[in-house]
Amino acid sequence: MKTLGHLYMALAALVLALPIVVVCGAALNGGRSMFFPPRDPTLARFGEFFVSEPVWTTALTNSVIVAIGAATLAVLMAWPVAYMLWSTGSKLSKLLAGLGSLPFAVPPIVFGVGLGFFWGFLGGLGDLWAGVVSHAILLMALPLVTISIGLQSIDRSHLDAAATMGATEAIAFRTVVLPQTVPYTISGFFFVLVLSFNEFIVMFFVSASSYATVTLQIFNSLRNGYTPTMAVAAITFIAVSVLVFSAVARWGDLPRLMGADQSRN
Amino acid sequence: MSGLHLKGISKSFGGTRAVEPTDLTFAEGELTALLGPSGCGKTTLLRMIAGLEAPSTGSILLSGRNITELPAHKRKFGMVFQSFALFPHLTVRDNVAYSLAISGTPRGDAARKADELLDLVQLGGFGDRRIGELSGGQRQRVAIARALAQEPDVFLLDEPMSALDAKLREEMQVELRLLQQRLGITTIVVTHDQREAMTMADSIVVMSNGRVEQMGSPQDIYHRPENAFVADFIGKANFFDGIVRSDGIDVGGAMLTAPAEYLKGSPVRVAIRPERACLDTEPGPNRVAANVTFVRDLGPVREYHLKTDLGPVIVEYALGEGELALKAGDTCEVRLPPDALHVFPADPPAMAAE
Amino acid sequence: MTVAESLSEVAEETTASHRASFRWQTVLPWALAAVIIVLCLVPFFLVIAISFGRKIEGAAWVWDFTFENYQRFFVGTLWPDEVTFLYLQQLGYSFWYAVIASLLAVMTALPFTLLLTRLSRKAQAAWLVFILSSLSLSEVFIVMGWDILLSNNSGLPALFKSTGLTQWLKDMGWFQVLRDWGLANPRNVKFKTSEFATILTMSYLVWPYAVILLYPALSRMDPSLSEAARTMGASTSQVIRTVILPSVRLPLVGTSLLLFVFLLGTYVAVTVFADPAKHTTAVAIYTNIRGANLNAPFGATQAVILLVSASICLTLGHMLNRWAEAR
Repeated sequence: MKTLGHLYMALAALVLALPIVVVCGAALNGGRSMFFPPRDPTLARFGEFFVSEPVWTTALTNSVIVAIGAATLAVLMAWPVAYMLWSTGSKLSKLLAGLGSLPFAVPPIVFGVGLGFFWGFLGGLGDLWAGVVSHAILLMALPLVTISIGLQSIDRSHLDAAATMGATEAIAFRTVVLPQTVPYTISGFFFVLVLSFNEFIVMFFVSASSYATVTLQIFNSLRNGYTPTMAVAAITFIAVSVLVFSAVARWGDLPRLMGADQSRN
Repeated sequence: MSGLHLKGISKSFGGTRAVEPTDLTFAEGELTALLGPSGCGKTTLLRMIAGLEAPSTGSILLSGRNITELPAHKRKFGMVFQSFALFPHLTVRDNVAYSLAISGTPRGDAARKADELLDLVQLGGFGDRRIGELSGGQRQRVAIARALAQEPDVFLLDEPMSALDAKLREEMQVELRLLQQRLGITTIVVTHDQREAMTMADSIVVMSNGRVEQMGSPQDIYHRPENAFVADFIGKANFFDGIVRSDGIDVGGAMLTAPAEYLKGSPVRVAIRPERACLDTEPGPNRVAANVTFVRDLGPVREYHLKTDLGPVIVEYALGEGELALKAGDTCEVRLPPDALHVFPADPPAMAAE
Repeated sequence: MTVAESLSEVAEETTASHRASFRWQTVLPWALAAVIIVLCLVPFFLVIAISFGRKIEGAAWVWDFTFENYQRFFVGTLWPDEVTFLYLQQLGYSFWYAVIASLLAVMTALPFTLLLTRLSRKAQAAWLVFILSSLSLSEVFIVMGWDILLSNNSGLPALFKSTGLTQWLKDMGWFQVLRDWGLANPRNVKFKTSEFATILTMSYLVWPYAVILLYPALSRMDPSLSEAARTMGASTSQVIRTVILPSVRLPLVGTSLLLFVFLLGTYVAVTVFADPAKHTTAVAIYTNIRGANLNAPFGATQAVILLVSASICLTLGHMLNRWAEAR
């Protein structure tokens, strides 16, 4: 039974890894076409993606700007909502938490279409900042959840203890609440970062073709067929995801963030 | 007027009264224990004193100064929490120095003061440890040192021993009492453990259902309980329900001679401590025939469980008080000396319903 | 300090703290509320409002209040003279792909997640890194990977041919079955375009989500329950049937529903792997709003219908759950 279980997990891992491995291998192709296994292996495509091809370097810069901007903005918006929800549990905070999670819960194409209209009226359509705000709103649900988990893990008697030692609410927030929720805040930040990096449907509607992120660039040139340079982009993105989640696992409690029971190991 | 005074303090949560209007005085430099079963309002009372909970009515005076409206962080009464509430993201030293650090004491001074306090609680050299590396007893010492760092006017402890194992608990009770006497600090300890209260306290406040049942020295509370609840909660007691007659108290037909100052015909509750009941041949009033149902030897004391016309009675003999060769099934006579009997008015219906 | 002095100090304190709390405890929530309400709700309201708008030939569109777009979706423009269910059929394909793919993902993810929660905390963290990385991987890349794997002149069909598997299938007579299912051309197996490839890729797309969504419930399940059942003589399959499945029924249904709603909006996998005659509403929305048709109001209408059907499914699932609970 045990071996059967391990076998099943291994099989799942294999299927999960299969397309990723194929894409990685295709990046080594020497020619302009995708083959697997690669023909004429070379690393020249990496140079094209990171250095010499302006289409890709611009797209990469845009991706980075949008991802970091959206992650920062999402965390900044999620913090007060999560804090209000935790400290007051008021109707308003519940409403805001619900609304903040809404865009993430509906098919993204619907929210993308809506945001396209929205920025069209407001005048942000095709501007990079509108892309940043759009992603922040779309993915705000993630830091909202991680920060809430972090706040719930704080023992309320810690706040009482701080108060009996002379800490005002502001000082207690700075010295007790904030330090204990830092790992959760960073996790939330990284979740947004990675998902924004990979998102393209919403970006497609709000960019209005005036700029492109990496995923969008690939999406746009879909009909012209794949090139090995695209595969390089894929490898880069996978590497970033693995790195980020490893960091979260290393410095945060990943099983707990994913909702595992605390008491068991 | 020194010390801490509570005047008509009460607390309601929604519609339910957690603490009935209460007047209490905590003498300066003394240790007072708030003792009662869980849910009796003792922790709520302590939290109101700390400023963590706003009283619904009444006022709190510290050395004659009204501090009712003062928030917890202005009172700065050091408090030790049941869970200790040590900050896991700070070292032991930073935990102890917390109150000093946030009030703007220079880092060096704060660290020196923290190390002194750690020496005081016998944790010198532990300053750089993380909280997670400490044992339960060490955590408690850190919590005590941390609460004392701000040199509080009043020192509050909420069930400070409940997270420790039994042996360590007894040691810490003595240690804490000695420390408190050395510092001469007004201290209030919440506990549900009467041994703990009697070990540490100058005076004990017994509470139940949000009311103060009795306040007095440990001896007063034990030997002169003012009501049936206190007699039952502190130590062990045999209880008999009866009615006052002209020639004594009628308990199910048997007559007991007792110092009763109650109107004839009123229902009363009679109590006697197991160690005050006698199984001897001495003549005197209140001799009742008994059947031994069970004997147990607890080491320092031996208990005889008896069946009598009054109801079940437990008699306790300390080691060396005389060897009695009674065993289960024997018949004997139990004597209840009149001066050892406590007579209380019968329970009000509300309490009887419990 | 006299009592009067201390009292006045207390009074000052309280008013000061009131003033401070006025500033950040009243203004900030409402400002934030305004921003969040505008950004999260207005886009949806715009979609709904524009779905009642009218397209102008050769230009963009104008505000209006007409049900023409809805009529076109359900019965076609020429109704009642002529009826067409083209758009309903697209919605049908959206549902069909999403239902099969989400069920497939949940059924295969359940045993995996169960095994995952039995591992050590460290091993769990390592697996979660792998799963989360795969989860966050863009649909674009996933489709790219499967496209290479399934395309006719590279990947699996080429592998089938070169290893002689194709020949073997022909010899065994199974090749004809594959042809009947549309998974082969006269010379070799082919997976593009096919419903098989579409559903496989969609299922792959949400599989990590299924694991992540099932993980909390399964890891909180008390292992002593299964152990208790085992001490009473239950076999492994009996334990799964009588203890594990009933206790995770709620998260199982919830996860399936969430994945289903998520998959309703899949775009790239459908355009690449599905036959154009079997495209979905999501593809039609794209074509109308940014693609060749340039009919924003009709695109918005389809988006609204997609949203409404998603909500109906969620509500129905919720009711079904509660009905099962009450029973």
